[in-house]
Amino acid sequence: MPDDRATPPDYLGLATPYDPASEEFAELRELLLGGERRELEELKRRLDAQGLQVEELADRLPEAIALRGGRDGQLARALAPTIDDAIRESVRQSPRDIATAIFPVLGPAIRKAIAETMAGLVESINRAVEHTFSLRGLKWRLEAWRTGTPYPQIVIKHSLVYRVEQVFLIHTETGLLLAHAAPAELKVADADLVSGMLTAIQDFVGDSFRQQETGTLRTFSVGELTVLVERGPQATLAAVVRGQPPDTLLPRLQERLELIHLRFAAAFADFTGDAAPFALAQSALEECLETVLQHQRPRGAHGKLLWLRWAAPAVLVVALLGWLAWRSQQRFRVAVARLEAEPGIELTSAERSIGGRWRLRGLRDPLAARPAAILAGLGMDTIGLDARWKPYASLEPSLTVARARQALSAPATVTLRLGGDTLFVSGSAPLPWVARVKGLAVLPSGVSALDHSALETTLPPDLAAVKTDIEGGRIHFDIGSAALLPAERDLLPAIASAFLQLRGATAGLGYRSELELLGRTDPTGTDATNQSLSRSRVESVRAVLTRLGVPSQDIRGTALGTSKPLPEQGDLDQARANRSVVFQVRLSLLSSGAVPR
Amino acid sequence: MIQKKVCMVGVYGTGKTSLVQQYVHSIFSVKYHSTVGVKIDRKVVDIGGTPVTLVLWDVAGRDATQDIPASYLKGAHAFLFVVDGTRRTTFEQLADLRALARGAAGDVPAMVALNKADLKAEWALTERDEAALVTEGWHHLRTSAKTGACVEEAFGWLAGATLRDGSKRP
Repeated sequence: MPDDRATPPDYLGLATPYDPASEEFAELRELLLGGERRELEELKRRLDAQGLQVEELADRLPEAIALRGGRDGQLARALAPTIDDAIRESVRQSPRDIATAIFPVLGPAIRKAIAETMAGLVESINRAVEHTFSLRGLKWRLEAWRTGTPYPQIVIKHSLVYRVEQVFLIHTETGLLLAHAAPAELKVADADLVSGMLTAIQDFVGDSFRQQETGTLRTFSVGELTVLVERGPQATLAAVVRGQPPDTLLPRLQERLELIHLRFAAAFADFTGDAAPFALAQSALEECLETVLQHQRPRGAHGKLLWLRWAAPAVLVVALLGWLAWRSQQRFRVAVARLEAEPGIELTSAERSIGGRWRLRGLRDPLAARPAAILAGLGMDTIGLDARWKPYASLEPSLTVARARQALSAPATVTLRLGGDTLFVSGSAPLPWVARVKGLAVLPSGVSALDHSALETTLPPDLAAVKTDIEGGRIHFDIGSAALLPAERDLLPAIASAFLQLRGATAGLGYRSELELLGRTDPTGTDATNQSLSRSRVESVRAVLTRLGVPSQDIRGTALGTSKPLPEQGDLDQARANRSVVFQVRLSLLSSGAVPR
Repeated sequence: MIQKKVCMVGVYGTGKTSLVQQYVHSIFSVKYHSTVGVKIDRKVVDIGGTPVTLVLWDVAGRDATQDIPASYLKGAHAFLFVVDGTRRTTFEQLADLRALARGAAGDVPAMVALNKADLKAEWALTERDEAALVTEGWHHLRTSAKTGACVEEAFGWLAGATLRDGSKRP
């Protein structure tokens, strides 16, 4: 290299050939680029060692999962959708493998579910019985009737522990409603306005009590309703609860809200008022809706009482049925005895079916009382009466009499009575009937003799009037005298003519009429005198009547003296009345002897 | 369903509640103003076939003793400022209210309703006032609760503006 060439000073020794492996060079490089070089090498190592990192991750993953899983539930929540998808995919691809895998748990699960359902059923039957027969049940029924509320709602109202009725998912900042869940039967309108107002109230309480930083309104109650509010950074969850919410409800809401924050983080970030992405949160909210009733009831003494509740009505029912059966049987016996006692009815068999149908067989005199009427008279239901009677003639006195009455066509004024086998006929009857009875050739069945001595004849009305006129006459005498007074004598022609008329008429009917004169005296004087005086008085009247044309053989005289005096008011009147002769018409059959006596 | 929070703000007695009460669905009574200080109503507006639900926060009017709680304004998608056209003072407080709203909800669409437009004789605002509004970038309408003038237009504009706005606030 020429010397005249201007060369710059060689500070770095570059003009001299260098050896890259020389120590100086290495030292220089280390001084100038050492830090960067190490970083580059580290980066290079990492790039080269991609495969190694996966291995490292595989080593550390279980540990990391355990660590995070122990800290909170975020990992599970983050993994859940992926696992859901994985299972769905697995089921789609090989359902048989899944079925085989879960088979061991399926059987016990089904058995458990059935057992629980049955237990629930028994419990609900028990409760229904309890509600039906207990005082409280009656009270509730009364309340249902009074308020016009269906009974099941009243039962729910009283046995309700709590019920989550509505759940709101609210955008915390704007108060806009993101999602809302309520049971279908609960008609909720304007959930968006309620959502806004809930937010406003929260703000109001926060502002009023300066609690914005340290906390928010979490619970408030209105009557039976409690509103639980769980506020998150993006969204607020509000649950409207009827009844007494348990302490566990709020933590559950918190958990649910955290889950929603996690799942919808992107939707929250992009939220400008469109709630559509949050429709997916609906099911998460619906899971919060629940109704909890009092079903855990203490057993023991209560269980025994429950049995009593079953048993008491059962015993009552059995007792009632027994009593009804006994009473029915008793009435049946009474009825059968009554039928057996009835003349003209002979029961050969009597049965009563369970349905209350009577079945009677026997003999019955056609003149006997009707069995259906007898049973009806005892208050029995005779609609189902099945009775068959064979006719016969009963010799019971009452039926013999009834048969005789029927055979003789006896009028109602005649009384028939059976003494032994003699039929006693008494009372009064029209002349032709009396004549027929007295001339009877054949007696009614069961009767061997007829006594009509007590039977009186009633005349036809015109003759009866004549007879009454005759028997109404009375001839008075002075004291101690049998001489006819002129005025009294003047009464006799009318009496004589009336008797002759009657005599003629009755003779036409086959009867003989006799006029009986009954003579009396007042009580003064001796019996012998009075007897003779009364006879004289009869004879005085008889003499005049004979003269007036009355055949003497048709006149009979009876001197009564003071025996059988005529009744009259006052002693003087009675004395005067008895100083007299009175008349009586006697009728008798013209030909007697045909009637046995 | 798209929902937007719209706050109605104004000085006490500018007729906010009267302005909207015939046009909105409400389940809360006016007494909420004196208790909670806000009443929430709903107005559904159709914007080119898209129904938009405006959830109206009718905030109790500001007066000498009570300021508007900022917490009610936060997150609002739009504001409707109501001015009583017959009381100039209500107009003069607009800037103050706007600052309050901006502080709570950021720069969102807003509209000024110059209310009681039917009271022409008592009108206290001038052409210059309205021109000043335009200059400051305000949209405004003369409204009347009595005649219903421009009420629907105000809601329509607000709904449309919130849809166009779409930007997220900090």
